[in-house]
Amino acid sequence: MGLREYMNDILEAVVTTAKGMRITARYGVDPKEEVTLQYPEERWEVPERFRGFLHNDVKKCTACTMCVKVCPVDCISLESVRGADKKMVLASYDINIGRCMYCGLCVEVCPPKSLTHTGGYEKASTDRGELILHFIEEDAAEVKARVARQVAEAAAKAAEAAKAAEAAKAAEAPEAADPSSEAGKAAGGDPKPAKEEPKE
Amino acid sequence: MEALTLSLVKAVPALGAAPLWAVSLLLMVASGVVVLVFALTFEGVGSLVLRKVAGDIQARIGPNRVGPNGILQFLADGVKLVLKEDIVPAKADALLFKLAPYLVFVGSFAAFVVVPFGVGLSAADLNIGIYYVMAVTSLVVIGVLLAGWASNNKWALLGGMRAAAQIVSYEIPVGMALIPAVLIAGSLSLQDIVRSQGGLFGLFGWNLFHNPFTFFSFFLYFTAAQAETNQTPFDLPEAESELVSGYNVEYSGIRFGLFFLAEFGDMFIVAALATACFLGGWNVPFIRAEALPGIWGSLLSLGVFLGKAFAMVLVMMWVRWTLPRLRVDQLMRMSWKYLVPLTFVNLLGVSLWLLVFDGKGIPELIASLAG
Ligand code: SF4
Ligand code: SF4
Repeated sequence: MGLREYMNDILEAVVTTAKGMRITARYGVDPKEEVTLQYPEERWEVPERFRGFLHNDVKKCTACTMCVKVCPVDCISLESVRGADKKMVLASYDINIGRCMYCGLCVEVCPPKSLTHTGGYEKASTDRGELILHFIEEDAAEVKARVARQVAEAAAKAAEAAKAAEAAKAAEAPEAADPSSEAGKAAGGDPKPAKEEPKE
Repeated sequence: MEALTLSLVKAVPALGAAPLWAVSLLLMVASGVVVLVFALTFEGVGSLVLRKVAGDIQARIGPNRVGPNGILQFLADGVKLVLKEDIVPAKADALLFKLAPYLVFVGSFAAFVVVPFGVGLSAADLNIGIYYVMAVTSLVVIGVLLAGWASNNKWALLGGMRAAAQIVSYEIPVGMALIPAVLIAGSLSLQDIVRSQGGLFGLFGWNLFHNPFTFFSFFLYFTAAQAETNQTPFDLPEAESELVSGYNVEYSGIRFGLFFLAEFGDMFIVAALATACFLGGWNVPFIRAEALPGIWGSLLSLGVFLGKAFAMVLVMMWVRWTLPRLRVDQLMRMSWKYLVPLTFVNLLGVSLWLLVFDGKGIPELIASLAG
């Protein structure tokens, strides 16, 4: 490296430093707009498709477990029981947002679109347990017990209805088919569950 | 000091009964406390200003929560640092670990003692002032290296080694760039150096304009000194991105705070030395502060000196937010390949100038030509 190059290096260093300092001085003297967001008061408006925390609209959820199966990190857990009307009833639905990586797969697969992302992103906590979101407030065991009771009641009702229908049938056996069905309806209330119950 | 002691005894007759050494001791302690309070205040306010300047330059706001416009932020920070848990890593060398921040802080604070704040206003006017500053600030190297070593953490150790290499390397150009001022004044005392820049030439009596070589010396000094005190763009020892902040990773609470304070203290020392050696110190153009009656001379010179020094501190902050950090090899190259040779050439130039022109600066030469 010749002396010329050496001197050029020094010159370049001085010139570029001066240039940079001119730019920063301009900002320092005249700090145009601030880009700072005064966070707790001002907030960023989240975009429409922002993947924030998950929310499950439990009324719509069919407990199909698709979301549980698809989640790569196993952060969704649910318990369900079969209800009286043969549909699955959620006993508990928990999402551990401490583990969730917001990939959105569960939302993609949810058939009734009950699982959605919200715009929420603040959930600092000193306790990891607080990061598990419970979407069903009731205790899972209680829900199960309640559903079981309902199922039992429905079954009892259905059995009664079936008996009544049988009795009516036996009593009015010689008569025509048309009035028999009408009598059966009057005696057993709703015949539908009674008809479907035996299939189970 | 002796004169001051005697005048104090004269002013307060009750002290006459006490032995002279006791009064001297009292004065020493008092001036030490004053300087310490000044240093701490400067360090606190400096950290706030630094962040405000950074905010402006980077189109941010900076601290604005504590107190009106955030001006009490540094107090809140201080309280936080004091209250934070003081952690010593289990396998660290506890004694050295605890000692290191004090060494760094003392190294930086001790230099305040000789700063010529005004006419006769310095805690001690040592006749080896500059030499003392250079010597005492080297304590920082030991502290930093100790912190890195005692932490028992490889990042801290690497950070400490880097810091030591950097500080030691840059000490040479810093010293070499200051010597022209010593040559011109013919004294190592900072007060004498400041006094040598007074006179009737006003602004042009300053060493900065003494001759072309001193002009360059100032910039060389300023660059090297920024590096020696680990200011950005030379803040490799900190290097939060590569070394997770280097030698002070393991420190928490007030121990970390001491490193932090020392850094700001160093900033002021660099600015103060630049002011004293090149920018005329407490000299006001065309006014002889020494000749003013009573306390006014001292006050005026104090204000002027602080004004100049704070302006230099602002320039350092300005540089800090302008330039990107150097890589470690670039840093070493800059010291040994550019700054060291250039400061030597400059020193040679200044010496020759003084020899040829019989110690006269450019303004004096022009004046003698005209007259
Ligand atoms: S967003 Fe992804 S990680 Fe989170 S619960 Fe849904 S599938 Fe699991
Ligand atoms: S995929 Fe949707 S419907 Fe199915 S269990 Fe999950 S949330 Fe419920």
